[in-house]
Amino acid sequence: MELFFMTLTTGIMVGGIYALVALGWVLIYKCSGVLNLAMGELTIIGAYVSYTFHSIGIPFVPAVLLTLVVGIILGVLTERIFLDKLIGEPILAVIMVTVGLSFFLKGLVGYIWKNDTRVFDPPVFSIKPITIGFLQISPVYLWSFILSIVLLVVFVCFFKYTRWGLSMQATADDETAALSLGVSARFVYAAAWAIAFMSAGVGGALLGNINGINVSVGYLGLLVLPAVVLGGLNSVPGAIVGGILIGLLQNFSGTYLDRFFPGGVKEIVPFAFMAVFLLFKPYGLWGWERIERV
Amino acid sequence: MSSVWLPCGDYHQNYAADQGWWQTRFIKGKMILLLLTVFVGIPLFAGEYWVSVGTMVGYTAMGALGVQLLIGYSGLLTLGHAAFIAVGAYTSTMLILQFPWPHALMDSGLAYPISIIVAGIAAGLWSVLFGLPSVKVKGFYLILTTMAAQFITVDFILTQYISQIGGRGQAFSLPPGTIRIGPWVIDNERSVYYLMAVLLTLMVIVLANLLRSKPGRAWVAIRDNDIAAEALGINIVWYKLLAFFVAGFMAGIAGAFWVCNTAALSPEHFQWFLSLWLVGVILIGGVGSIQGAIFGSIFMVVVMELLQMAAIPLADYWPSLLMDFAYIKDMAFGLAICAFLIYEPNGLAYRWWQAKNYFNLWPFSY
Repeated sequence: MELFFMTLTTGIMVGGIYALVALGWVLIYKCSGVLNLAMGELTIIGAYVSYTFHSIGIPFVPAVLLTLVVGIILGVLTERIFLDKLIGEPILAVIMVTVGLSFFLKGLVGYIWKNDTRVFDPPVFSIKPITIGFLQISPVYLWSFILSIVLLVVFVCFFKYTRWGLSMQATADDETAALSLGVSARFVYAAAWAIAFMSAGVGGALLGNINGINVSVGYLGLLVLPAVVLGGLNSVPGAIVGGILIGLLQNFSGTYLDRFFPGGVKEIVPFAFMAVFLLFKPYGLWGWERIERV
Repeated sequence: MSSVWLPCGDYHQNYAADQGWWQTRFIKGKMILLLLTVFVGIPLFAGEYWVSVGTMVGYTAMGALGVQLLIGYSGLLTLGHAAFIAVGAYTSTMLILQFPWPHALMDSGLAYPISIIVAGIAAGLWSVLFGLPSVKVKGFYLILTTMAAQFITVDFILTQYISQIGGRGQAFSLPPGTIRIGPWVIDNERSVYYLMAVLLTLMVIVLANLLRSKPGRAWVAIRDNDIAAEALGINIVWYKLLAFFVAGFMAGIAGAFWVCNTAALSPEHFQWFLSLWLVGVILIGGVGSIQGAIFGSIFMVVVMELLQMAAIPLADYWPSLLMDFAYIKDMAFGLAICAFLIYEPNGLAYRWWQAKNYFNLWPFSY
């Protein structure tokens, strides 16, 4: 029973990080209709950038804040250089540009950081577990969860209550109407990409604290795809719930299924589950069902 | 096919003639010249190195043809094609290594050709399994299910289970001499190249024939508007799954061919990277044309080789270049995809078509 609750808490906490990254993904999709397949690389860039800041002696929290700044710059640059010219192109072209982008970023990360496994040194979080009641939680998970929840709240508030956030929401809802009311679409797209880079960056920094930074962080970043599909592509609450569900699913399968299927069942289950799930609910939990006409 | 320019006053009298391959003597001569170049010219006159580059082009094209069928002709987005290539490669290797072949078959060298066909069928069926969600979902959701195919097949089943058979750990290797077709032992660059040329030619012929018959027209109809296609009485479930089967079959054959090229096999050859690479190849070559898949393969493989050649003399001035070359290659490939999509969205095949038109209409281009 204890094992069950341990798995539950770890699942929810890792899921919080996925939810954060998934939120960035959904924002891009809602605002500009771009399905971003480069999310894994965005995550890994965040991990390495925060590691670099941390390794030159900046404490972890300011390092994460600096990562956010780098995220804004990279996001705006990406949007301006690659995505801006593709507004209105067919969906395949836009998806494939993000594939090209993921190749480019992967090469860039490899060129700069050589894909070695790096660990945060000195460790950011202590290894001694915190005991709450009968549960023992490693501080990495707890602080990651808290930090990602804080950022989630900040992003959602930004989206709901600020002027920029409202203009993003308007563009997501109806692009033409928003344009005619004087919302700058280019600004909104750039902001969406900046937020995606920022959320993926923080997610990457946190994931990098759990297992060290290497290529597998990029794979964990890809796990947002099942998460957003589970929640429905264009639903912000869906992204959060989907992220947490994927975290739970991953940890439960790691605990209980690993006995029967030794090996990396933990990494596969989200994708396998998603493929089956799509057969039954093709639009996720809260995605908009599109009624198609000829 | 319909872009053939006939002399003024010549018209086709029926559909079959309109769909014919060799409508004019010029086209016939051109194709014979192409076949002569591929089968005689390159292996005879090119050096060992360029023959092996040709083999790589062929392998890429074999994979890309299946992707082209799915994405370019049926509108079924796939990012997991490497999984089906891997299934083919592993089926073929497993059959050769583990299957208790009767001595007569083994001695007469039929093991490898049989395994190629079985590999194709196995990969085709595996591909249909992951194509099943395409009945309900499309677009981005389909990309995700094919990605699931990639991770489940290569990263889980092949890495964790199949690779452990025989206790060798990660890689399988085939003893020399096991890969032979009848008396023909495939053991050097040139024989591998010939096998590639034969398989690729057969695949192009089969695919081109499929595309100009009923399944091909159904696929194009589904690509253009699947709801309208269904309303016209096309069984879209059947044809979507058929597209997955044919593409998987071709991937399986490409995989079985890959075995004879390397004589060793490891899951690292079939990572997600390869799936993305194949999609990139058809985007650069041109979506929706067989030539596109082949142009894209030639362009990508040859340009990457040229980059590599350029890197060697540059390494004197920039010592870390060779070490980091893999990363620079990734960056160049990513930028090439982006640049083609932004500035040349119709791909190389479209430029080829334009060039052909120019010469067909020359000197009066109006």
